[in-house]
Amino acid sequence: MTGRVIVITSGKGGVGKTTTSANIGTALAKAGNKVVLIDTDLGLRNLDLLLGLENRIVYTIVDVIEERCKLKQALVKDKKNPNLSLLAAAQTRDKTAVNAEQLKEICDTLKEENDFVLVDCPAGIEQGFQNAVAGASEAIVVTTPEMSAIRDADRIIGLLEAKEEIKSYKLLLNRVRPSLIKSNEMMSVDDVVEILSCPLVGIIPEDTGIITSTNKGEPIVNDENALAGKAYRNVAQRILGEEVPFLDLDEPKGFMAKIKNAFAKLKAKV
Amino acid sequence: MGLFSDIYNTVAKFFRPQEEQGDASKSVATNRLKLVLMQDRTNLTPKILEQMRGELIDLLSRYVELDKELLELNFEQEGEQVALMLSIPVIRAKDEEEIEAALKAEAENLEEKIEAIEEEIENTEDISEENFSENNSDESSSNVISTPEEMNSSKNNEQEVSFEECHSEQ
Repeated sequence: MTGRVIVITSGKGGVGKTTTSANIGTALAKAGNKVVLIDTDLGLRNLDLLLGLENRIVYTIVDVIEERCKLKQALVKDKKNPNLSLLAAAQTRDKTAVNAEQLKEICDTLKEENDFVLVDCPAGIEQGFQNAVAGASEAIVVTTPEMSAIRDADRIIGLLEAKEEIKSYKLLLNRVRPSLIKSNEMMSVDDVVEILSCPLVGIIPEDTGIITSTNKGEPIVNDENALAGKAYRNVAQRILGEEVPFLDLDEPKGFMAKIKNAFAKLKAKV
Repeated sequence: MGLFSDIYNTVAKFFRPQEEQGDASKSVATNRLKLVLMQDRTNLTPKILEQMRGELIDLLSRYVELDKELLELNFEQEGEQVALMLSIPVIRAKDEEEIEAALKAEAENLEEKIEAIEEEIENTEDISEENFSENNSDESSSNVISTPEEMNSSKNNEQEVSFEECHSEQ
């Protein structure tokens, strides 16, 4: 078996790389795939928190590289889904504790026994990014409809294009706020796609449920009713090769919106 | 008065369709972002862009009278391709005589410049010849070869002769 190694990256911090990794990983595992998540953010690990696995970590990726344990010993199984496991980052070391070759070796070993290896990349374009990308053949670039995040995503896309090993990369637009787009206060999905000229793999709406799901250490894809959860499940399906239409993010119209619309129409007639 | 206009504005804002509100900020962001990404992608600094703009103005104003303040030079992306877009507000086209006169003046200007350069070359030549005779004993002939190309023919002959001498001495 040779699985796919996908790196989840963004350039800018705080756009939702780790949330995306946790959710796509969980969704892929729920769909019956064997998945390993690798946290490569050495010194600033968080993927364990989002999965609720922070108390179960014994060994980290640095322990594997420095041969204090076997690779299998360092993999932490998810509470709910035995298909999903995590290789945690070391919290007490920095990015120089690992090099690109070592990470590539780990990815190569893991993809032999798994369908998917998802690499959660740290922010920035330095060593940490180079390490995370080393073993991957696909990339998901996470961005939000904000200028700084888009500019950084453009830099990342440029760097990914220069890498021969990366065969394909796709854009995941996170924290989209339909009401702001509607009032022309936020760039639309089309605007961002046009500017970055990169194919889309997902549109995730801003969802307050993300905060509560992080609090609980349970990815939002497990919540059947959450819109963001549904959007992430769709992303997983697209990664699996299915054609899923993008969600209609228009919020359900309330009473006030109806009145406003009626007045707008009336005004147009006059 | 203030109170009434406040109330009026609030009410008016409520009944205005959403699309009309704050439509500037999104397009401002898109335009700023497009510009900054072009600079990022092409590695052209604002200084170089300004220089390019200046040279284009010089070239074009030979033929048409331009509104230099309103001239816009931008990069635009169409799919994979980046295009250089130049928008020039033309005040009026110059007539043929004007253009010819301008070109003539420029040609004369150029000739003067060429003469000045030639003179300069002659001066440096004298210096290099002095150097040459000093260097004659050395084997560093490569030093001298770098200049002859720019010299006029009569001087060139002299150079060749002395160059041969140099070789015979070796």
